Amino acid sequence: MRPATATAAVRKYRWQFSGMVAHVIQRVTGLLLLVYLFLHVHTIRQLSEGPVAFDQALSVFKNPLFRLLEITLLGTVILHALNGIRLTLIDLGVGHARQRQIFWAWSIGLGVLVFLAGAIPLFLASVLRV
Amino acid sequence: MPAYRNVLWWYVQRITGALLVVLLTLHFWVEHFMSKTLMRGDLTYAVILSRISNPVWQAIDIGFLLVALVHGLNGLRNIVLDYSRVGPRVAQAITVALVAVGLVWSWWGIEAFSKL
Repeated sequence: MRPATATAAVRKYRWQFSGMVAHVIQRVTGLLLLVYLFLHVHTIRQLSEGPVAFDQALSVFKNPLFRLLEITLLGTVILHALNGIRLTLIDLGVGHARQRQIFWAWSIGLGVLVFLAGAIPLFLASVLRV
Repeated sequence: MPAYRNVLWWYVQRITGALLVVLLTLHFWVEHFMSKTLMRGDLTYAVILSRISNPVWQAIDIGFLLVALVHGLNGLRNIVLDYSRVGPRVAQAITVALVAVGLVWSWWGIEAFSKL
């Protein structure tokens, strides 16, 4: 057992802090995605009303605000997916000692990169219409 | 609930999660990135119908919905049971209620294809 020095205590606190943040992020994004799935199925069901009604229903989502929300959805999915992979590895005992670094590098760092790789082209095409 | 079932559901959550990574990547590509029109977000009935009139795509989409619902509702169950202090009977009632929600939601989604 490590002696209870101030440094060790701070390190332990930080370790738990990242774990707690990651845990809450996973639950909040998960709930948001479940709510989104409901709205998504609701929209898709309009297909059965025929082309005119469906395209009418879709036109609601064609204003810039909804297109920004769509890009936010991409970010939510990426964060939930990468963090979920990380949590699974932790549960399996992989990377236990470095879980804080893995959270920042993998869930946040890689997450931001993948998000920007998708979000920038989408923003240019769907919001700025270039 | 016996411990082994919780372990089983741990695996179910991981397997469905892994499937969703693949399915969602495919879904985003097919609906938002594959062409200039899609990147501009100009989806129409005609564009969607040309894809989902194919039974293979319908099967993929229905499977996708079922996997997403198992993962999402099991995740919701984990959250509800974690933040509440209920006995095994109430926990079981919550589980049954979420299964019922899942069945209705599945039917509600699959039915969208029946009237195309």
